[in-house]
Amino acid sequence: MKNLNFSQLKKLEIILEGEHKEFATDLLDHAGVKGYTIINNLSGRGSHGFHEGHLMFNEEDVLIMIIAAVPPALVEPILEGFAPFFSKHSGVVFISDIQVTRLVKFAD
Amino acid sequence: MSIALGLRLKIRAMIHVAAEPIPFFWPMRTFIHHNPLHGLEHLPFEQAAHQGAELFHGRAFLPRRIYQGDLAAGKVDRPLLSAAITQFLESREGIAGIDLQHWLTVLMTEVGEPVTRPQTLAGVADVHAFLHGSEPRNEGATSETLKRHLHERLLGDRPVYEAVDALYGTEIGTELDELMIKSCLDFFDEGQSVWDMPGREQGLFAAWCDMANRNVPFYLHGLHVSRILEQDEKPEGVIAYVLQQLGIPEDQWISYFTRELVRLHGWTGFVKWRSTAQHYYWADRFPADLVDFVAIRLTMALALLRKDGRHNHAWNTDGIAEAIDTRTAEIYLRHELHTGQILPAMAHAVDQALLLGKDALIQETLRDYLRGKTLHEAQTQANGLLALAEAADGRDALPQLSEEQLGELLTTIAAFEQQEGMIWLRALEAHAIHRLLNGLDPSKPPVREKRPFAQAAFCIDTRSERIRRHLEDIGDYQTFGIAGFFGVPVSFMELGKGSETHLCPVILTPKNLVPEITAATRQDDAAVTALEKAMHELKESVLTPFVTVEAIGLLFGFDMIGKTIAPRTYNRWRKRLHPEKPFSRLLLDKLSREQADSIVRAVQRTVIVKAVEQELGLPPEQVTDDVIRSLRESALGHATTPQACADALQLDADKAEAFIERLRTAYRINDAFAHQQMERLGRIGFTVDEQVNYVTQALSSIGLTEQFSRFVLLVGHGSSSENNPYESALDCGACGGNHGLVSAKVLAQMANNRPVRRILRARGIDIPDDTWFLPALHNTTTDEIQLHNLQLIPPSHLVYVDRLRNGLTAASRLCAAERVPTLAIGEKKNLEPAAAYKLARRNAMDWSQVRPEWGLSRNVYFVIGRRHLTAKTMLHGRAFLHSYDYRVDPKRRLLENILTGPLVVGQWINMEHYFSAVDNDRFGSGSKVNHNVAGRFGVMTGNLSDLRTGLPSQTVLKDGKPYHEPLRLITVIEAPFEHARKAIDGVVAVKNLVQNAWIRLLIVDPESGEVSIHENGGWQKRALHAAERATVQESVPL
Repeated sequence: MKNLNFSQLKKLEIILEGEHKEFATDLLDHAGVKGYTIINNLSGRGSHGFHEGHLMFNEEDVLIMIIAAVPPALVEPILEGFAPFFSKHSGVVFISDIQVTRLVKFAD
Repeated sequence: MSIALGLRLKIRAMIHVAAEPIPFFWPMRTFIHHNPLHGLEHLPFEQAAHQGAELFHGRAFLPRRIYQGDLAAGKVDRPLLSAAITQFLESREGIAGIDLQHWLTVLMTEVGEPVTRPQTLAGVADVHAFLHGSEPRNEGATSETLKRHLHERLLGDRPVYEAVDALYGTEIGTELDELMIKSCLDFFDEGQSVWDMPGREQGLFAAWCDMANRNVPFYLHGLHVSRILEQDEKPEGVIAYVLQQLGIPEDQWISYFTRELVRLHGWTGFVKWRSTAQHYYWADRFPADLVDFVAIRLTMALALLRKDGRHNHAWNTDGIAEAIDTRTAEIYLRHELHTGQILPAMAHAVDQALLLGKDALIQETLRDYLRGKTLHEAQTQANGLLALAEAADGRDALPQLSEEQLGELLTTIAAFEQQEGMIWLRALEAHAIHRLLNGLDPSKPPVREKRPFAQAAFCIDTRSERIRRHLEDIGDYQTFGIAGFFGVPVSFMELGKGSETHLCPVILTPKNLVPEITAATRQDDAAVTALEKAMHELKESVLTPFVTVEAIGLLFGFDMIGKTIAPRTYNRWRKRLHPEKPFSRLLLDKLSREQADSIVRAVQRTVIVKAVEQELGLPPEQVTDDVIRSLRESALGHATTPQACADALQLDADKAEAFIERLRTAYRINDAFAHQQMERLGRIGFTVDEQVNYVTQALSSIGLTEQFSRFVLLVGHGSSSENNPYESALDCGACGGNHGLVSAKVLAQMANNRPVRRILRARGIDIPDDTWFLPALHNTTTDEIQLHNLQLIPPSHLVYVDRLRNGLTAASRLCAAERVPTLAIGEKKNLEPAAAYKLARRNAMDWSQVRPEWGLSRNVYFVIGRRHLTAKTMLHGRAFLHSYDYRVDPKRRLLENILTGPLVVGQWINMEHYFSAVDNDRFGSGSKVNHNVAGRFGVMTGNLSDLRTGLPSQTVLKDGKPYHEPLRLITVIEAPFEHARKAIDGVVAVKNLVQNAWIRLLIVDPESGEVSIHENGGWQKRALHAAERATVQESVPL
């Protein structure tokens, strides 16, 4: 483990309705984010009640989570970008500090 | 100017939010029914209806006269109208001398036109004065009120050019829309135009900038777009620049964008859909999004405004605000003149005064005008009231009212007229609910002694109801209703086609691919191309269509996808199901690892043969298998190139190495690409477990888990008509606007699969060995039911096929006899079944027929329950019927899936018909007669218009009046109350639709016999059979 170099990044966890998946990924693409992971069919409780994650015949009305690791400088522009969206829609963004070993995968 | 990243992203998000009220527009090859107010579904129906009407400049309810016609025809629950008026008046003060209950009843039922008239200047005092025969006092028209009035109308989120047009009589808005449409037609063309816009690969904004910067006509017309475009390379930067120039504050950007986008909401909906569509060939090749669209629109708007500004017209918000504040009189008169609100008698005088431009004359004209307009408004309002008073026998009461009382009366009437559409709607729905409930049979279904001769599962589509009823009536048939994709989302690749078609509701994306394959050899020798020669080795492979395009076609530059998805005519892929098509099967089972490996290897070998031929000029017969194998191994890095191989190719070591490298890069013989191909092959078919799950899901959800017949028909549906861009609108909505036959074949093949049946048996669904699932197609234009895959039937069953066919034909004829008279194509009202059937078939082939069938018009009910509940009532093809037996669904999962899938799609269909019927010009697409196909994906009215959305008048109107009765979907769930309520509450999307009253929901509890209806935000109990209600008139047709 001695030879590993750790780099500080921020992890964004964005939870929103599946209907807006393309909007969110488009915004991240335009922000220059190099990759993300999407988890579909989330279950959980929030201000709108309990969301079931097992709908078979409807992918738009389920919640999804997009996870991205970004350089700290990108956090603010991304949050600024999402602001008009979240002032109208339910959903949350969690931001946390993380470390990665292969920085090249996340930042230029 | 280059703007910060944060602002750029924010503008993107603002445009996304701004476009939300505007629905998607799907290419019409697969017409998708949708709610035109889908973007407002988070609001209660009534609120959304008003907001949508304002936003789209349309009407959300029918004109009063049509509702009055419904009342006269006995389709309205009259006591409910009275009760609604009483309830409305509860929160209002009474007015002495006036029986408001009576007045409002008369207003609704006898007065044709709205009583409330728009008042800009006249106040209550003026109306009061007029009623008493004196001159209006004209108190409302101070300079301050005029300024406020003008600020409200001209500024805010209103596009600046609309304000300029309203002041100077220019037509910048129209010109801008036309320029925008032309740009869109150029860029989005899907092979209809002979000329291709250059540089489309760069995307909409960049391609347009290239074109606009070099556009000489633009320059000659004084449109200096280059000066705007040079401000920023990115569309977001251009947008920020234009809005700043126009003086729009940032907090109004979102609503400003919405107003801009709504002007061409059809094109907006198309760009919006296209930018989010996955694997849409044209979007992948020529990308575009709404940010591009808005940037182009704003650029042209600013250029047009600046050009117009040279005539000393204000061209931004500051200029307009200043003009209002400093030249109020002139601006007011201009606004009146150019918005068509001017008093006709004074139009000439106002025009002259403005032309001369002398201040004193303008002021004098204004004084005269205000006096005249106030009098006119007071007069029309007073006359409206007098007409109402006359009808209500209260003419004497009006002059007795004090000014305050008159004001109260006017406010009451205005508020009532605002809510009136909703009251009519509820009363019409109440009647339709009584009708349905009266016909329901909540008793326990009798136990069947023996299995029926045949069972048939039809799509829930309203058109299935008729044929199901007739089939049940003529013999020993049991029918079921299920969403027409039979619960299996499939991405289908038709024989010989390179494109995939999604056979499922659009709210789903299929994960499994099903190619169609055949053992027959290719008939079409003339079509043999270099590609097909290269495919020699693969020719026998059953996967040719799939592998061809995915792996080889693109490598050789054959633009197969384009050729296959850009149809030669507007007809869709299925049109080419010509009779010569060989018998085909569906590849439904997953490939094994070995199979997939061998396919990828075969593809690689073929590519290498082709590469050797192309690069080294050696014909295939000179290249041995050994050489190919070692080339392949070397390219993949598994071995070095042996000398023998280089020798065979007559290459020295360096050249051999260079050729190997070229195989890796240009011909993509490498691990990464092979891996991708494996992944794609992995999408083919379903595992046995998946098949078991889909079959279980489908059969359980309709309650068919025992007493299986010898034949279980799975009946998909489709329509057939000639020369009809809307043909797809008549196909199966649950199959994404396609025919339902492939979906029927898919489920039949799964359910006939022996290993699947073995596992089903272990899970308690015991399908007897002699049960055969048979796919069929119900042609809704001709009422014919055609059996398919008869070649696969076990010989033991062949002896019964005749009886089956005879039954189906009889049902088809009876169905035609019931349906054809509604189309008014025959002279006679009562046709013999055989004659009606013949007429329906002729109609389907009539090239000039604008109404081949009524489709889903008049849809109103959605029943989720056992067939026994509705079996005794005639629903006239107006009900979606989804079979459901709550007893096999203790955890409510099946019900939740029916609610979130089929019901949601049913609600879209219902709302599309609703709005197309109430305002066919704005929410529908007008008459088909004036339609022209645009870019192969939509229609326009005339040569240049917005893309027309919604349904044509021929689908929802008859003789100019609604044929479709616009009501919200009346949905019945047959299940114990708590069971159904929990299922609804369990899924947020459906819960919202119910609470916001986009659907009317009833629960019929078969155990307690009680009926609950969701009304005014809560559940209310009511009697099932409303025979005691005097309001139901049995003689009235449904």
